[in-house]
Amino acid sequence: MLYIYQTSCISPQPFPLAINNFNTDITVAHHGIMVVEPDYADIPVNILRRMGKAVRMGVGAALPIIAAHRNIDGIVIGTANGSMEDSIKFLNQIVDYKEGMLTPTNFVQSTPNAVAAQLALLSENKLYNTTHVHRGLAFENALLDVMMLCADQPQSQFLLGGLDEISTYNHAIEYLGGWYKSDSIDTNKLYQSTSVGTIAGEGASMFLVGQNPSGAIAKVSAILSLHAEDMGEVADGLSRFLIANDIDPNAIDTLILGENGDIRFQHFYQNVARAFPLSNQLRYKHLCGEYTTASSFALSLASLLINCENVPSHLYKDNGKAKGTINNILLYNTFKGLQHSFIYVQSANDMAINAT
Amino acid sequence: MSRIFVTGIGIVSPLGMGVLPNLNGLGMGLCGISTMQHTMSKYAEELPFGEVKIATDALCDLLQVNCKGVSRTSLLSLMAFREAILQSNVSTAQLQQHDTALIGATTVGGMCLIDELYENANKLSNNTDYIASYDASSVTLYLQNKYKIGGIINTFNTACSSSANAIMYGARLIKHGLANRAIVGGADSLSKFTINGFNALRIFSKQICTPFDANRMGLNLAEGAAYLVLEGEGTVGDKEILAELSGFSNTNDSFHPTALSAQGDGPFLAMQKALAIASLKPADIDFINTHGTGTENNDLAESVAMKRVFDSVPSFASTKSNTGHTLGAASAIEAVFSIFNIVHQELYPHLHFSKAIPETALIPVQTFQKRFIKHVMSNSFGFGGNCSSLIFSKV
Repeated sequence: MLYIYQTSCISPQPFPLAINNFNTDITVAHHGIMVVEPDYADIPVNILRRMGKAVRMGVGAALPIIAAHRNIDGIVIGTANGSMEDSIKFLNQIVDYKEGMLTPTNFVQSTPNAVAAQLALLSENKLYNTTHVHRGLAFENALLDVMMLCADQPQSQFLLGGLDEISTYNHAIEYLGGWYKSDSIDTNKLYQSTSVGTIAGEGASMFLVGQNPSGAIAKVSAILSLHAEDMGEVADGLSRFLIANDIDPNAIDTLILGENGDIRFQHFYQNVARAFPLSNQLRYKHLCGEYTTASSFALSLASLLINCENVPSHLYKDNGKAKGTINNILLYNTFKGLQHSFIYVQSANDMAINAT
Repeated sequence: MSRIFVTGIGIVSPLGMGVLPNLNGLGMGLCGISTMQHTMSKYAEELPFGEVKIATDALCDLLQVNCKGVSRTSLLSLMAFREAILQSNVSTAQLQQHDTALIGATTVGGMCLIDELYENANKLSNNTDYIASYDASSVTLYLQNKYKIGGIINTFNTACSSSANAIMYGARLIKHGLANRAIVGGADSLSKFTINGFNALRIFSKQICTPFDANRMGLNLAEGAAYLVLEGEGTVGDKEILAELSGFSNTNDSFHPTALSAQGDGPFLAMQKALAIASLKPADIDFINTHGTGTENNDLAESVAMKRVFDSVPSFASTKSNTGHTLGAASAIEAVFSIFNIVHQELYPHLHFSKAIPETALIPVQTFQKRFIKHVMSNSFGFGGNCSSLIFSKV
């Protein structure tokens, strides 16, 4: 179990992320939607100049949290690729200049642990520091890592984050793989799409987390990640998850589904939703696009939605349902139909849970 | 919380493919660092490298796998993984169970596929054979998919300490009841990407590396893979236990993106915390497999940190004098070497040493020694200040 005290999210949405300030009419450029970057006033200019977008938005999203909490007990980041932009820039120099004398800046910035490392430097933090890079489950593993740390050190607080960028280069590779729609599509028509592929997205979501309920805005009660190609295995995983964590399906008032407009994966979401006939169904990838650590955006959103009564209608899959207060949220996401995760998010206030 | 036992090891390094050639290589004081033959680079003739001495095609044939879309890193990984599960006698059915975790680590991942990645990333080719094979997780996912491993799967990249984090994470999953066995380790292959990156940072030695020597000139880049099978008390049964993972730690030096602090704060804290987790006193450590890359900066900072932790620094060596620096695989490879120390009750000669660093005057073990060995510490420190220390103990 893990309590969330503070979130900070740089995404294609206005910064800071707020329930009453979503942009649902984002221009889709080159099959993707890009982050709206703040001015990064807190990052020293000489450091900012060397940073690629992934490092910049990761550090930029985390700084409001670490500036207010200098004594955190560790930094745990999930990112599938880190700065892909720097990686390929360096690779291109190697090939184009036939291994001539190169400057190391892009190489140093390209390593995925650059964000956690830069945050340790800026906050002078010598404690636990790690970077999970397991593609569509990089953030989930970071989350599980922190849940174990908090169980071992109940008085501690950690910075947890997930980030990934769209660069020209990973966009080219993913597009070639058929993961993005070839036709131009508005974000507000994403879920009506009957074609394969999705809209590329990016973002950085950071969380201050710990084991103490005091001051918490939400809590993560359980997580399960799995690798599976067919729905039977996912259903089996969901059953194991509910039983192991003693979760009554009827207690889940809200499902947040990672639907991304790719018809190939729609059956996973439909089948999972079928197990929760009483739950409202929400979606979010029209706000952030699809990326490897998009579930970190979903957790930011869930943290804001807990105890929220005025949920914007564009989040609901079916506008007709009774809405009510949100206390118990199950997040389900699949990355490319091969990696899957369930994250159970609840109100931090136990009284609210008992009342439902 | 459960104790963590090692019941299987597998290794591929510049000393050879498999446990036996590596054990014999260390015992005989062999050095696997030479000119590079199987990875194309303009530095192949100019600089020494620790290469696994087999071409990628031949590696495919040896492993009897279809090479299409598979990186050299994944193949090295598969070879070490197979040996580890064979020794521990983990069955196919057990691999598919939900209580079997697979935790990998790599820095290069599939970025050894320089030409393919260059063409795909710059839209110069429509060949899709390798597009899912460039990232770090592709190496772990190759094993997961091949064996349908059913539990928690993860991949780390914390630069040169990556596979120490994989080992720790697997152990912690078992301690928290989230897995009963974890196959943990890492792999990296030589790549123009890292060769040119480290060259740009000017930390290569033009000669074979001389860790902890006063006249050390830098490191030699290398490749390899190693995996360990970790099992908890409830699962290990009557299997032969090679060693216990008794301590582990992760700290950050918080000093510079590519260099350690002069006082070695990160390394100091890593060693101190690993001792605390293992409930050991500094004097209990019989031997240290150091990070010992051969760079000016690392070896001095690590020496200073060892002197801060230990009143009297125990016997130590750097096996990078045998293998070179295998980056994301280094912690796992050196974990296997530390387990050799325990299983065989012997120390292996550190190579190419002639004169101690004047500031710290520490001298590594330079002879083969039969000796009682109870606790071995293994250090790994990486770019980004990512430091770690593991302690393996005789059971």
